Amino acid sequence: MLGYKKRLAADLSRWKSNGWLTDVGEAQIARELASNRRDFGLASALGVLASVLLAFAVMSFVAAHWADIPRGARLAILFGSMWSGYAAAGVLTGRGHRGMSDAAILFAVAVFGASIALISQMFHIEGHAPDGVALWAAGAFLSGVVLRSSAALAFAMVLVAVWGGMETVEREAVFWPFLVGWTAVSSAFVWQRWRPGLHLSALTLSAFVIALGYVLSDGHDHALVVALGLMAVVSVLAIERLEPAWHVAVEPVVGYGLVTTFFGAMALQFGENPTGVALIVMASLTLLLMVGAIAYGMSTHRSSTIWLGYLGFSIEILALYVNTIGTILGTSLFFLVAGVLVAALAALAWRLAHRTAKSEASP
Amino acid sequence: MSNTIGGWRFGPTWRWLGVAAVVQTAVLWTIIAQRQALLRDGKEIVLPVVPVDPRDLFRGDYVTLGYDLTPIKAMALDGRPSFDGLSKGAIAYVTLRQSVDDSWQVRSVSPRRPDRIDDGELVMKGRVAYHFGAAGSPDESIDVRFGIERYFVPEGTGALLETKLRDKAIKALVAVGADGAAGIKGLLIDGQRHEDPPLF
Repeated sequence: MLGYKKRLAADLSRWKSNGWLTDVGEAQIARELASNRRDFGLASALGVLASVLLAFAVMSFVAAHWADIPRGARLAILFGSMWSGYAAAGVLTGRGHRGMSDAAILFAVAVFGASIALISQMFHIEGHAPDGVALWAAGAFLSGVVLRSSAALAFAMVLVAVWGGMETVEREAVFWPFLVGWTAVSSAFVWQRWRPGLHLSALTLSAFVIALGYVLSDGHDHALVVALGLMAVVSVLAIERLEPAWHVAVEPVVGYGLVTTFFGAMALQFGENPTGVALIVMASLTLLLMVGAIAYGMSTHRSSTIWLGYLGFSIEILALYVNTIGTILGTSLFFLVAGVLVAALAALAWRLAHRTAKSEASP
Repeated sequence: MSNTIGGWRFGPTWRWLGVAAVVQTAVLWTIIAQRQALLRDGKEIVLPVVPVDPRDLFRGDYVTLGYDLTPIKAMALDGRPSFDGLSKGAIAYVTLRQSVDDSWQVRSVSPRRPDRIDDGELVMKGRVAYHFGAAGSPDESIDVRFGIERYFVPEGTGALLETKLRDKAIKALVAVGADGAAGIKGLLIDGQRHEDPPLF
């Protein structure tokens, strides 16, 4: 936000000196900017951190002193803390502190989870730990929806991911119910029009797809991961062609799709011990994909795609280097191949830059 | 951009805060009430406890209780069944029969709840923790957890229990509900009952 303000201030003075902007216009832009600012951003962020710390305090206090405090009093502390959190949220909302109110809701949701754990302890319920996490996620989801709390919804997504992870590890099989929880929380993000939440959704879904490679087909289904990642990239590019309004979704979806594909490709090349020829083919395709991402990012001015391409290219080269020393490729041969590839990349980049400069010169 | 569904406006208003607090409290209260009902109404059985791992008996502030009911060997059961459908993580219904010396022995295991339960028998619901050996092989066995394997103790009071556990002087008082759920009511230490009084 600060960076944007700084850049805008520089632009405004330039636009005014060019005569594109009147004094009245500049004043109006400044007023508009001031009314949109979120100076309480840091306060809200600290509030969220404080609520997490306070929830830990309640939990560890009850856990540490549970023998000294009668069970009825222990429950009273837990329920009382949870209700105080919701009451604080009401008071803070009334005073217009929406961010702080979110932090109080998060506190109440955290205490709800702590209560599940401590009631289990009180009654020696060993139970099935992922069920407890699922119940906690459901509680966080309820608060997130009815109170329109982004913090509670984000927390619900984290819990859904933890739940899915625990079940997957325990069963050593795909845990499809994860997708039900994922869909529910993602729908709430859409309903609340909260974009950071959708990034969280994309991140957890990518992790789920990458995990499929390690679970399906006895843990060797990484080709599926590559296929799904590429499918996401291709689909979003196709959708953009048909519906240009979707262009806002392109950069993030391409990014998550690339990362998913890359994880699958890494597992195929370095987790599965392919033959020399297969490794060379797969490595070349991976490098080509990364070069493609860089080229695409440059031509469409999508900087995150460019950087992911560079990052993927570098990691791939590094992984090849580490895994091929003294094996199928000699180190010197490796450097030769890498050098040729990078030179090709440089040539491609030069041509692209040349073309961009030409198209910009003749609009 | 007010977010509404069917005319309901959501947000941290007192009404919705109340809904969240009441629903979550009700959920927690249900867990407590169900457990209280199980401990009160469930059939009480006494199971001898065996030390699970003498080197690492205490993890944090709970004692791990082992039971000689499990692992269950397919060979040892009537009719030498196969444990199909009882893979790791699956729900297992274990039928127990009380023998003449009052101890409980595993009679059968099934992924579904048995329709008929004979006199002197009860069904305990658990989850398969491990499945050893191929189906039908002579060494096929499963390890089942019933949710009664952890007994939480106040910090620093575990040493005495550990000794007693090694001396096999501890038995678990377990309540088994009609649905097969099992819960620890307390411990029988040197023949003396140790249990928390009911909350309500």
